[in-house]
Amino acid sequence: MNESNVISAEQVAAGDSAVADEPLDERLALRGPIQQLLTRPEIGALLGAVGVWMLFWLVSAPFGTVGGTANFLDVAAYLGLMAVPVALLMIGGEFDLSAGAMTGATAIIAILLAIDVNGAGLGLHLAVPLSLAFALAIGWFNGTLVEKTSLPSFIVTLGTFFMLIGAKLGFSKLFTNKVLVEGLDEAEGYDFWNGIFGAEWLRNGHLWDERRWSGFWLLRDEIWAGLLICGSLALLLGLFELTYARRSKLNVSGVVIALAGAAAALVGFGALLELDGRNSNIVYGTLTAAGMIAAVAGWCRARYERPDHSDSGVSPGWIKYLLAGLAAVGAAVVLAVVMNAEDSSQLGFFGGDFGRALFALGIALVGVLAVLAALGRVSPGYPAIGAVLVAVPSISFLVTVQAARAILFGGLALIGITLLWSAASRVRPSVWVTGAISVVIALLAFFIQSEAGSRKIRVELFTLLLLVALVLGAAAVARYLSASRTSAPPPPAFGRWTQICAVLGVAATVIFFAVEVADGDAVLYALITGVTKGGITAFIAYTLVTAVFTLFTRDEGVGRALVTVGIGTVMLAVVTRMLFVTGAELEKICTVGSDGELRCPQTQFGVVVLSFVVFAAVGSWVLTRTQFGSWIMAVGGNKEAARSVGVPAARTKTTLFMLVSGAAWITGMLIAFRLTAVQADVGDGNEFRYIIVAVVGGCLLTGGYGSALGAAVGAVIWGMISQGIGFAQWNSDWRFLVLGALLLVAVLVNNYVRSRAEKAPVKSGATVPDRSGITIIVPKGLTRSKEEG
Amino acid sequence: MSSDFLELKNLSKFYGNIIALTGVTTTVNPGEVTCVLGDNGAGKSTFIKILAGVHQHDEGELVLEGNKVRFASPREALTAGIATVYQDLAMVPLMSVWRNFFLGQEPKKGVWPFRQIDIDKSKMIAKAEMAKMGIDIRDTEQSVGTLSGGERQSVAIARASYFGARVLILDEPTSALGVKQSGVVLRRIVEARDQGLAVIFITHNPNHAYPVGDRFVILQRGRSLGNWAKDELSQSELTQLMAGGAELEQLQHELSQTSAN
Repeated sequence: MNESNVISAEQVAAGDSAVADEPLDERLALRGPIQQLLTRPEIGALLGAVGVWMLFWLVSAPFGTVGGTANFLDVAAYLGLMAVPVALLMIGGEFDLSAGAMTGATAIIAILLAIDVNGAGLGLHLAVPLSLAFALAIGWFNGTLVEKTSLPSFIVTLGTFFMLIGAKLGFSKLFTNKVLVEGLDEAEGYDFWNGIFGAEWLRNGHLWDERRWSGFWLLRDEIWAGLLICGSLALLLGLFELTYARRSKLNVSGVVIALAGAAAALVGFGALLELDGRNSNIVYGTLTAAGMIAAVAGWCRARYERPDHSDSGVSPGWIKYLLAGLAAVGAAVVLAVVMNAEDSSQLGFFGGDFGRALFALGIALVGVLAVLAALGRVSPGYPAIGAVLVAVPSISFLVTVQAARAILFGGLALIGITLLWSAASRVRPSVWVTGAISVVIALLAFFIQSEAGSRKIRVELFTLLLLVALVLGAAAVARYLSASRTSAPPPPAFGRWTQICAVLGVAATVIFFAVEVADGDAVLYALITGVTKGGITAFIAYTLVTAVFTLFTRDEGVGRALVTVGIGTVMLAVVTRMLFVTGAELEKICTVGSDGELRCPQTQFGVVVLSFVVFAAVGSWVLTRTQFGSWIMAVGGNKEAARSVGVPAARTKTTLFMLVSGAAWITGMLIAFRLTAVQADVGDGNEFRYIIVAVVGGCLLTGGYGSALGAAVGAVIWGMISQGIGFAQWNSDWRFLVLGALLLVAVLVNNYVRSRAEKAPVKSGATVPDRSGITIIVPKGLTRSKEEG
Repeated sequence: MSSDFLELKNLSKFYGNIIALTGVTTTVNPGEVTCVLGDNGAGKSTFIKILAGVHQHDEGELVLEGNKVRFASPREALTAGIATVYQDLAMVPLMSVWRNFFLGQEPKKGVWPFRQIDIDKSKMIAKAEMAKMGIDIRDTEQSVGTLSGGERQSVAIARASYFGARVLILDEPTSALGVKQSGVVLRRIVEARDQGLAVIFITHNPNHAYPVGDRFVILQRGRSLGNWAKDELSQSELTQLMAGGAELEQLQHELSQTSAN
């Protein structure tokens, strides 16, 4: 017998500890919270949405007002209402090509069943539920057929798609002899159902009456800027908590520095609000910034362990990135000075022979590079360069000089800052380079402010850029002063308080709802108001609890709560910016009537926007938080594996198909009650838009990965572009070129960000971690008990 | 009469007129590793599928704790405490470690319309169970696709033992792995055994089987060559019984290096 080959338990334990000693450094490479955030599928879409909004806000005055918001949200909502369930289905690994045709089909069925003339005359109380039953039956049929036959859903639903198109046209002609089905408003029960599907609430009108909200909300800019700053701060501190190792005792000098810095920042900010001169702006802006940085530095010193700065040095290539970054920022500034900010004529400067040559060259390059990429000679990213050469002259026909200036300036500045960031990440410790970057951004902000002709750029863009610069600077300081965590912090220990806040929110919702109903408001409006106010009450309570726990307890896990509070506050800031008007805006659009009362144009939000928001929120919750969500990802990612551990794959997929057709029914009803007459081809062809929007939002076409929230954001991007082109008075002939390019860019950015973020960071001195990022250690109980026994 | 936990008596399986497996007899006990060895086509897969409830045996008896049993479905075998870790591991690569760990049996909290997965608890348990296997996963949120083969194997084994498996069937866990990774997986097998699980280790590599096994069954072309306890058989005899040669000695050399590591 060969005893030496027998691996005994003792040898196993000895072997383990040998392994454990070796890669200690590797364990330092904890995946940071920012990296985790970047691996989220919807992050690209979110950033894109911000960029697109800023672009149109720059070039079009009405786009940034509540009217513009209502306009693009309406388009986005009709799309997103479907895109969210379609995204869930795609994550579950299937397509539904009949989704678009289904929206029109439910509308036509409901109308034909309800109306007396040329219809079945059942009335809407029967027709509406029957059309829902029809939609769910088709969804069930699609799902069951796909499951039972194992045919690709692409084929099965293509069949349903054509059948629905044919049936819509056939039945419309059969009953009404026309391709238009009409008369919904004469059907029995119209008033009741119109109260649900046709409901609208009006901004500046009855439901969002200005007097109700009093003059408080006219301070929109001050409120949203304040919320944005507070939210960013909470988010930043939360990320610090998650990233850095906590001290065992507070450092007193740090507390003093933090308090002094905060006081200086407050004084500076107060002076900024009071005074409005360029010199005083610079002085007090600097005071505010220095105070904030000092406050953050003090906080870090007080709270986190000090790092070991022995690993200083530079990686090769950092100077290249630094120079390239500075060059790009410089080019952006030069461009902004050279191009005319007020010129709203069409750009089209590649229109002549030069443009044609460039266009041809671009197409040739795309072809050659695509062939090379297919052969594996160059990275697939390279054909994108050719695509840019095609897109530039094409887009130059679309946009105005003004817009091109904004796009080029923004794009170059963004590229420059990214390059500078890359340079910073190659220098350890990177605080000086990162700090320099934040100074560059701050200088850009001041440059923009001095160049800007309009107040919105002077105030809003300036504030935003300054905030970005400050956040980057603060992050750099914190990184220099604090040591990284080696293990993830535990969740916050105030679960009971969270529950109390939730109960408080529900109670507040009920009370606000009751008050609104007692005031004689419509139930739907009362419900929206109640939920909004109740939610805000709960959120404020949660914020207070988090603040108390952060400042007065030693709860290790407050980081996550702070991040939640930060994200919530930033969202509140965005909603405030989108849904309210400033006093200045009101003065422009309102008139005083003969009776002395202020008359303002109404902005309408249909119930479709409400459904969209609810769908996005619920869909996102279901996907990320519930068992069904886990099952969706599992059946899309590896169906056999899911089945073998007991996931009911067939039921999951059929449910998803029924969810899509159910959403199609809601969309159909919304269309029907808005138009009261429906063409036979309504909704046909929209299925591809749903899929595109889901992909823009980060869903993989192959299934198993994606985000419901991302799909919703994708729909908002689509809405903003298709409406924004009109707002900016650009040549809309080229619209689809932009949308197509957008799709490609979204997919490329998604891929790039994900592959970058999934790699663990390599620190100097550490061995290069293997892809898994897993270390083998000795389980303590195992070795101890062995030794004792 | 028998004190054995799981007993296989003359187990046979026919597909039409093809004899897939015949006359397999062995016992499986908690805290023991039963190795099933055989080359490709020896009937190893059929053997697993009978125990896992995918197929049913045609002749012979399967006795679990003194009762004759016959598993009609994978779920029945799972309920009886027999968990199988397949070669392809039944994992969803794009999903995180903790989601894979609890897939199909997610711990939940909250009342019905708001019932959701208890994510903190899931992550904590997944991390703790992996630590028991001697693997420290810093972030259970990372996707299984980024793990190496051996680590995935560990997730599958940890999952099976956490969900109350009493018998763990491992289908060729070392076949796709490098020498060092194989050593890691063999360690996992020993650890699972020490936790009181009965392990059935399917392999075609006697050098992997002998160090960890307590009992050996050798299959060849659907027939059982026999059933030996460890003290009845030396490693060289085991290797001889399998089709052996120079490359096996090479492997043995490599394994001794791994175990010394």
